[in-house]
Amino acid sequence: MTAAMQKGLIVAVILAVLTVAEYIFATSVTQTETQFIGLAVTAIGKAALICYYFMHIYRLWRAEEAH
Amino acid sequence: MAVAASAAHGHATHNPVRFNRLGLWLFFFSESILFGLLLTTRFFLEGIEREHVDQHLGLAITIILLLSSLTAFTAETAIEHNNQRVANWFLMATIVLGIIFAAGVGFEWKTAEFSRHEAFGSVFFTMTGIHAAHVVSGIGILFLVWIQLKRGKFNSKNHWPVSGSVMYWHFVDVVWVFFYPALYLVK
Repeated sequence: MTAAMQKGLIVAVILAVLTVAEYIFATSVTQTETQFIGLAVTAIGKAALICYYFMHIYRLWRAEEAH
Repeated sequence: MAVAASAAHGHATHNPVRFNRLGLWLFFFSESILFGLLLTTRFFLEGIEREHVDQHLGLAITIILLLSSLTAFTAETAIEHNNQRVANWFLMATIVLGIIFAAGVGFEWKTAEFSRHEAFGSVFFTMTGIHAAHVVSGIGILFLVWIQLKRGKFNSKNHWPVSGSVMYWHFVDVVWVFFYPALYLVK
């Protein structure tokens, strides 16, 4: 397994933990505004992780392709 | 900028993959407007209320889609390192997980306790339907790339079709990251 694959695995585990955490958070918190804000922040964080580590958005600013 | 600089020095070299990547991100941006509008519609029509949905099914298909992002990433990384065998297996795993996700959405549609004539049902079926259409098209694209991969068309120097299709798959995942809490969790 390469270092890049290990990094991908770590990111995926973080995403899975955040998904389960947002499920537990949503089912346990009753105040709707708090729940909405918590879920929105988690979703933005998860999307940022995917865009950076899986979709390699930083490569847009690179002159050369990374292999 | 690099292109302009090299053109100014009289040797116009350009990296087509860089432009492909930029074009794909512009496509994602335009798609984000569509999905953003659907998300806005859901909250405009229903506020932060929702009907009963199968929570366990929603969590399960979300984890499956996240797992498919990992397999897609592994396939892309493998082909970047010229490992065609691993890329081949993980791309196929991504396709299988995508099919399971689509089947899960289909099951949710079949067992839904609300109708498309209600406001929530209307946005639920529209949002999951358009997302599922992207999932199905993603499966189709990944399958076409997988066939080419099996034929040995890609390697560490030439793998943009693998990267592009995998990026599309991740985008579908990003959309679901917002749709899942909006449709299943917010109340």
